[in-house]
Amino acid sequence: MDVWLLHVLNGISYGMILFLIASGLSLILGVMGILNLAHGALYMLGAYIGLTLASHVRNFWVVALLGGIVIALFGLVLERVFLSRLYRQMNEQALLTLGFVYIIGNVVLWVWGGWLKVGSAPSYLATSIAIGEFSFPLYRFALIFIGLLVAAALYWFQEKTRAGAIVRAGMDDKEMTMGLGINYGLVCSAIFFLGAFLAGCAGFIGLPVIVANWEMGFPMLLMAMIVVVIGGMGKVQGALLGAIIIGIIDNLGKALFPDLAMFTIYLVFIIILLVRPSGLLGRKL
Amino acid sequence: MEALKIEGLSKNFGGLQVLKEVSLSVEAGEYVAIIGPNGAGKTTLLNVITGELSATTGRIYIFGQEITTTPTHRRAHIGLARSFQITRLLPSLGVLDNILLSLHGMRPSRFQMFRPITAYNETLAQAQRLLELIDLWEKRDELVQTMSYGEQRKMEIAISLAAEPKLLLLDEPSAGLAVGEIPAFTNMIKSLAKGTAVFFSAHDMDVVFDLAHRVVVLYYGQIIAQGTPKEIQANPTVKEIYLGSEEGTADAGVS
Amino acid sequence: MVKANPKIFRQAWQEKLVAYAPYILLSLILIIWPPFMSPYVKSMMIQILIFGIFALSLNIIFGYTGLFSLGHAAFFGVSGYTTAILMTSYGIESFWLVAPAGIIMATLLAAIYGIIALRVSGIYFLFVTLALGELLYGVALRWRTVTGGSNGMPGIPYPTLGLPFTMTATYFYYLVFALFIICAFLIYRLIKSPFGYALQGIREDEHRMKHLGYNTWLYKYLAFIVGGFFAGVAGVLFAPSSSIMVPAHLGALTSTLVMLMVIIGGTKTFFGPVIGAAIVLFLQYYVSLYSPERWPLILGAVFVLSVTFLRQGVGVYVLRLWNRVRYSYGSIKD
Repeated sequence: MDVWLLHVLNGISYGMILFLIASGLSLILGVMGILNLAHGALYMLGAYIGLTLASHVRNFWVVALLGGIVIALFGLVLERVFLSRLYRQMNEQALLTLGFVYIIGNVVLWVWGGWLKVGSAPSYLATSIAIGEFSFPLYRFALIFIGLLVAAALYWFQEKTRAGAIVRAGMDDKEMTMGLGINYGLVCSAIFFLGAFLAGCAGFIGLPVIVANWEMGFPMLLMAMIVVVIGGMGKVQGALLGAIIIGIIDNLGKALFPDLAMFTIYLVFIIILLVRPSGLLGRKL
Repeated sequence: MEALKIEGLSKNFGGLQVLKEVSLSVEAGEYVAIIGPNGAGKTTLLNVITGELSATTGRIYIFGQEITTTPTHRRAHIGLARSFQITRLLPSLGVLDNILLSLHGMRPSRFQMFRPITAYNETLAQAQRLLELIDLWEKRDELVQTMSYGEQRKMEIAISLAAEPKLLLLDEPSAGLAVGEIPAFTNMIKSLAKGTAVFFSAHDMDVVFDLAHRVVVLYYGQIIAQGTPKEIQANPTVKEIYLGSEEGTADAGVS
Repeated sequence: MVKANPKIFRQAWQEKLVAYAPYILLSLILIIWPPFMSPYVKSMMIQILIFGIFALSLNIIFGYTGLFSLGHAAFFGVSGYTTAILMTSYGIESFWLVAPAGIIMATLLAAIYGIIALRVSGIYFLFVTLALGELLYGVALRWRTVTGGSNGMPGIPYPTLGLPFTMTATYFYYLVFALFIICAFLIYRLIKSPFGYALQGIREDEHRMKHLGYNTWLYKYLAFIVGGFFAGVAGVLFAPSSSIMVPAHLGALTSTLVMLMVIIGGTKTFFGPVIGAAIVLFLQYYVSLYSPERWPLILGAVFVLSVTFLRQGVGVYVLRLWNRVRYSYGSIKD
């Protein structure tokens, strides 16, 4: 019984990392209509930049925030210099981000090398607590906590603030929003900044749990895409639900039938796409 | 045999009933106009007839054949064609290409994967005749997106007529045209669509008077009057709906 | 101003000659030169021709029909794997057996994938094609007994034609060249046919096409299958040319690579995708002489620049250049 709880908790904590990545992806997709194929690469870059910063800055959380901001700025440059030139051309924008996947991946390989990098949790979280006869890392609990905190913050932003209302309006009807005098370009940049920030942070704080390597970007992007579709595009709740579900399936799957885990996830993905493309909690399209 | 017969057609969008028990018919070769204030449901009605929207209740017949649930492309093969209020052409293809595509749409040759489209001499000749009729043969290699609005509007009608439909639906055909261009435009329709039954929605009463044999008035999804243009013009209910007689009849092409 | 291809119905033979001159010239070069090429250049040319077919096949689906698919390598890869399995695990080396098998597998897969993918549109179509490609990648990775897992299937020989000579790199080159010409011809006729025009119409305005009597779903489905068919041809040739098949040949890596080729070359001209393939592969061969580790970076940079600044792809510029050359010889009415 305890071993199940362990797997579920592992799944949820992993799901929180997924959530951070997927929520950014979902926002960018919902507001700008762009599938940011480089989102996984941003996550990976966040991990590596964070690692480098960590050797100079003591505080774990400061590093996480700083790393996130660096990635966010990078994302902003990407959006302002490149993406905004292809205004409204969804296909071309997705392709552009694809180009950056290649660039970022190779740069990371170049600068940091191809060896796996492990990150460590801050010392006060580096212990484990007992669950039955197993020990569960305290840091994973911290991850769950952080994830829920971010989810709550995003939800509040989405539902309770004027800025959030603008973002939601932008998702529904871009022309109307622009017609109301809201600077759509500014909204896009802000959203991209936020999404990149979340991905970058996720990269670093995920390190104690996920080993970093220069190829981890794209698989993570695929997982995030699956989360967004299953949970429903555009809403924070959807990303959270989807992330938790996928996290649990992934962990249970790896424990029970390791060879088929990925398979199952893709199968579920395709089924949801066919049966209910708007996702479990998404706005019915 | 009626070209178009609609029985008890209703269309609901969620809780909103846009069309209520609409019944009307169009005889072969007849021109019938459907008018009504904005939001009365004219475009919805056209969309249900072409199959873009499904009817909630009711039946639709074209030349005796029931098409209530037939897919859109099959309705074209029964003889139905349509033009759009907002011009919908194939923008990055040439003028001649647009016409050729609309001609091949009805032929089995449309699935041909080997013979060039230009090898079909008969369709080519037909396309030439059609383009010469609307004065665009010289511009046949120009991309549609470079045409002027008026030229595109002519193309819009020509494309829907290319395959010689038996029933033609026109959605605000003169939309966006300058007042001076309209008489030439209606003449073009009359010469191109000789013998075809035409069912069209319009705002411009001049167009209605010039083209229609009969007029149907739609108000909040219901037909409230039918008759010849003169009868409708004199109808007091109709006048009321259009907020007074003078403004109503002088209404010029607001879409 | 960009115009639609003028419909030239009856051309004087001189005009036709001038119009076809570059193709004739290029073909002559490609036929006469190979025996004198270094092995390095020869293998690059073979790759260009193979990826040329592959890119043309994607352009049917993407450029002409407007379906953004990032899973096209699935058909390419399944064909390559079929070829590899037949040749290395079962010892069947005849081209006449292996090629149809590979092509049929690719076409079948396209028929199945098409039904699934065409249930959705827009961004979801992208998702599904990507997922279907990755699914197949996962299968190749896990089904170790049949596909060799992550090690792939090495040691794929050249197929035999049943003719009285052994297949060398040069002869294989001619085989690839011949198939390239055949495929290019077939795809060209497809594009110019009523079916091909209908695909473009669907890309422009699917709705309108339905009203004109076209069963648009069927067209998209057939386009998908035809695209899969030609990707299968490329795959059959690819397996022996690279002599190894690995799961990556089925997945997003290869799907995105061929998409890059199509974009760089441009979708608006017929030969654009082939030009794109040539550019990418030329670059790859030269970069790998000096700094192979930086190749993805350069590829990504070229791609980003191409999408941002060369919106229509290189092919359009090549065509314009050629038209200018042609018209300056004065014989063709503009």
